[in-house]
Amino acid sequence: MKLMVKRLLAATAFGAITTAAAAEYPERPINMVIPYGAGGATDISARTIAEPLGEAVGKPLVMVNITGAGGATGSVNVQNANPDGYTMLFARVGSHSVNPAMKATLPYTLDDFRFVTVYEINPVACAVNSSSGINSVDDLIEKVAEGGVTYSSSGVGSLLHLAAVMVLKEFGVENPLAEATHIPQKGGGAAATAVLNGTATFLCTNSSALAGFVSNGQLKPILVTTREPVVGFDAPTAADLDKPALHQLVGWTGIAGPAGLPDDVAGKWGAWMADATADSEFLEKMTARGSVIELMNPADANEFIQGQYETFRKLVDELGMRIEG
Amino acid sequence: MNERALQMRLGLAACAVALFLIFVAIPNWVSSPSNVSNIVLSPLFWPYTLSVMMGLVGLGLIATCLRLSANGAPLSIDVEDRGSAQLRMIGIAVIMLVSMVLFARVGMVWTSMLSYLATAFLVKTRHPKTAVVCGVVIPVVLYAFFAHVAGVAVPQGNFVRLP
Amino acid sequence: MSFIDSLAAGLGLVGNVEAFLALALGIVIGVIGGAIPGMSATMAVALTLPFTFSMQPITGILLLLGVYKGGIFGGSIPAILIKTPGTPASSATILDGFPMAEKGEAGRALGMALWASCTADLISNLSLILFAGWLASFALSFGPPEFFTLILFSLTIIAGVSGESLLRGALSALLGLLLATVGLDLVYGTNRFTLGDPNMMGGLNFIAVLIGLFAIPEVISMVWNPTAHLGKTRQLGKSRVSFADYRKSFKSIVRGSFIGVFLGSIPGIGAAPAAFLSYSEARRKSPNKNNFGKGEVEGVAASEAGNNGVAGATLIPLLALGVPGDVITAIIIGAFMIHGLQPGPMMFAMNTSIIYGLFIGLIVSSVFLFIFGSFAIRGFKFVANVPKRILMPAVLVLCVYGVFAVNNNVFDIGVMFVMGWLGYAMLRCRIPAAPFLIAFILGPLLEDNFRQSMLMSGSDPLVLIRGPITWFFWGATALTVFAIVRAGIRTTKGIVSRQRASAQFDR
Repeated sequence: MKLMVKRLLAATAFGAITTAAAAEYPERPINMVIPYGAGGATDISARTIAEPLGEAVGKPLVMVNITGAGGATGSVNVQNANPDGYTMLFARVGSHSVNPAMKATLPYTLDDFRFVTVYEINPVACAVNSSSGINSVDDLIEKVAEGGVTYSSSGVGSLLHLAAVMVLKEFGVENPLAEATHIPQKGGGAAATAVLNGTATFLCTNSSALAGFVSNGQLKPILVTTREPVVGFDAPTAADLDKPALHQLVGWTGIAGPAGLPDDVAGKWGAWMADATADSEFLEKMTARGSVIELMNPADANEFIQGQYETFRKLVDELGMRIEG
Repeated sequence: MNERALQMRLGLAACAVALFLIFVAIPNWVSSPSNVSNIVLSPLFWPYTLSVMMGLVGLGLIATCLRLSANGAPLSIDVEDRGSAQLRMIGIAVIMLVSMVLFARVGMVWTSMLSYLATAFLVKTRHPKTAVVCGVVIPVVLYAFFAHVAGVAVPQGNFVRLP
Repeated sequence: MSFIDSLAAGLGLVGNVEAFLALALGIVIGVIGGAIPGMSATMAVALTLPFTFSMQPITGILLLLGVYKGGIFGGSIPAILIKTPGTPASSATILDGFPMAEKGEAGRALGMALWASCTADLISNLSLILFAGWLASFALSFGPPEFFTLILFSLTIIAGVSGESLLRGALSALLGLLLATVGLDLVYGTNRFTLGDPNMMGGLNFIAVLIGLFAIPEVISMVWNPTAHLGKTRQLGKSRVSFADYRKSFKSIVRGSFIGVFLGSIPGIGAAPAAFLSYSEARRKSPNKNNFGKGEVEGVAASEAGNNGVAGATLIPLLALGVPGDVITAIIIGAFMIHGLQPGPMMFAMNTSIIYGLFIGLIVSSVFLFIFGSFAIRGFKFVANVPKRILMPAVLVLCVYGVFAVNNNVFDIGVMFVMGWLGYAMLRCRIPAAPFLIAFILGPLLEDNFRQSMLMSGSDPLVLIRGPITWFFWGATALTVFAIVRAGIRTTKGIVSRQRASAQFDR
């Protein structure tokens, strides 16, 4: 009875009732959770797609930054949300393939989410300080043998952490954990600064995060992990160096909902994303930042993420990097 | 309670907290991997250091209070009626607890209206009409600002949603 | 291109109505945004960012810089009026600003905050223009060991804000350090005191702790004794700052500005420690030492000078190295990138006109800040006249919204409430809150930089004395600690002898 009165009140006063049975999704604004801070790669990517996507959806998209614990806080927020399609997540390589592979303590697994798409791929590049005298990956590997090589990252279990280890391993360093030292920083900006001021020898991260330092001549790229060269990065690709396994090592951004997301909602997202990623302004902005726009349907997205997760997981288990505590 | 009694109690409390941390909290709630190469790098090192320092400060407080006079001037926040003051404290604690429960379920706007009014009448405001007006207007204005200007996803709850 | 040519080119770029309008608008948005707790300068800048995409690069960037500068000043308004810092940077302003408001000198405190802010802003901007290159290369020589020693030195501020008992200040600081360990461990990624709650993994939200520690205890105190304020002169918010006040505090303002410039040019420290350091230096040097913390106008001046001194200087690493020094400049760097500008050494060579355009805009911004700040003070001063039992519940509601908005997480509101009770308990036990806050900010930096130093050196402690910068800070720390201990012994003796005297008198 009390509920009835409340509903009646709602209908008369605000002309909006929310009940379990939604008539036509979406009938109100959708909360889009960004699990990283303002100004970061995920945030910029999410806010750029929000414009064309909002038009396609027809209802406002409310951008919600929930930061903390390398993307875990925001992800958990979506994991526990109603699977009604009104709370969606911008999932990222760090939060949804490196973190699950590395952290046993993570409060979620990949099965807790339903991916509706992956729309952006970011090439990964490795760079050293221009004044370090290192000119190629081979030089770096030589230095590793001498000892004292360090690499910076944006934290334990970040893409940067895993990427550096994976690159060293691929280029023949037997036990990268013992032969090179990881110096975690707080955030990607601090990681790049650490290489700039000589705290760390090298870092591997999304090319967009390095583009500025590379064009200014402060950092020198020594490797990009894609098949194709990256504009502005005068460095060999993983294909040039004959390391095809490194092609798996790329950043990506996708959209996911809680595991119980209904099929029709997921279907609508597929159509919206097709419209949004076709927007020429969006394409132009994203490619200018070094991203590759590649729209995947839910099945492809799942396969892609699962594949990357398994590659990473294998490496993590092999080296004993998994965080149990 | 005078300065000396206060120092004494704080000193004892600090020592107790330090012991609790060293023997219960840190062993149970701070995990450290087994392959830590150097003790100063262990996740446990810093919490233990702090706990020990906490214990030392506690001892310091006790030590200084021994030098203070036992009948120094009393320090207290005077209040006419201690009983009703304590009741009011329970009141504000309940308001906070209840609103934590209601934020997500009923929505932030309605909850904050209730908590405004409850707090204002708990302290027996001299302007009840103004309080009622403010109690309704302030949460709505804040909602309008945060939701529509700042683009914050203010929790709406499961019942009545605002546009 | 000569200096004059560059200047002329820059002037050509900003010499239009839109650029100045954008700057003015930015300052207005910033002051209002900064004045709303939880909204903070950071969020105001983040919200303005999308609007700059369609503007001319220089106009857009000036708009953001206006918001930034306005926001840092705006934060002092609620800090003084309702003991709730609008941005973390203004938490030091509370120490003397709120007692002044309680004494009925809100107008004077706000006026001084504005004057000090504008002076510091000007000094900071001039330093940026004159010493950017030099300070930037200096900032790059700050690795983890240098940071560690700098933070260690900064922790000595605690003594300056401990009030009557140094030991209670230390207790407060240790509580802050301990609470700051909650979350994921930096080096190993393991859980510390998270109790299995994913919300705790990211650590306790700084703004929730800050607001909980300062604003909520005021609400609880009023509940404990709702009529305590009656008969006090709080209502008289008509007082104004005088030129004599300004002249008296001028030294502290200049000193604070340079502390701000110095700390601002080093990425990763931020405005709050600068404000506290400036405050504690001002207190140490002032003849009115004992009045600090009880409503001393010089304290407000020093804090505001410290945090505004940072605002121009954070642009030094941004422009000269392409490295953002704090969250706000990290967002502003996004605006540069959107327009295809890449801050860094090359920008000084390739986009000289933009750099000089920015410089001119920044200088003008100090003047605009003064004008719009005066209006804002007049607009907000009425808050001092609102009956306390109407105001305090409103503060509670405002804090709830503000803290939620920071990270869109209801859990943070809970953190704020719990911290509020802790803050109240500390208030009752006469434990000062400021050391807690400083320790909460600096603690993680201290630990992280220590461990990073150990990692980079392979656990060789000698890395902590690897260069002149570290030697300097070790020396400064030793000297300060020595002075503190000596003063501490003296005051304890003083209290004891005073008490003896009064005890004898009682008999």
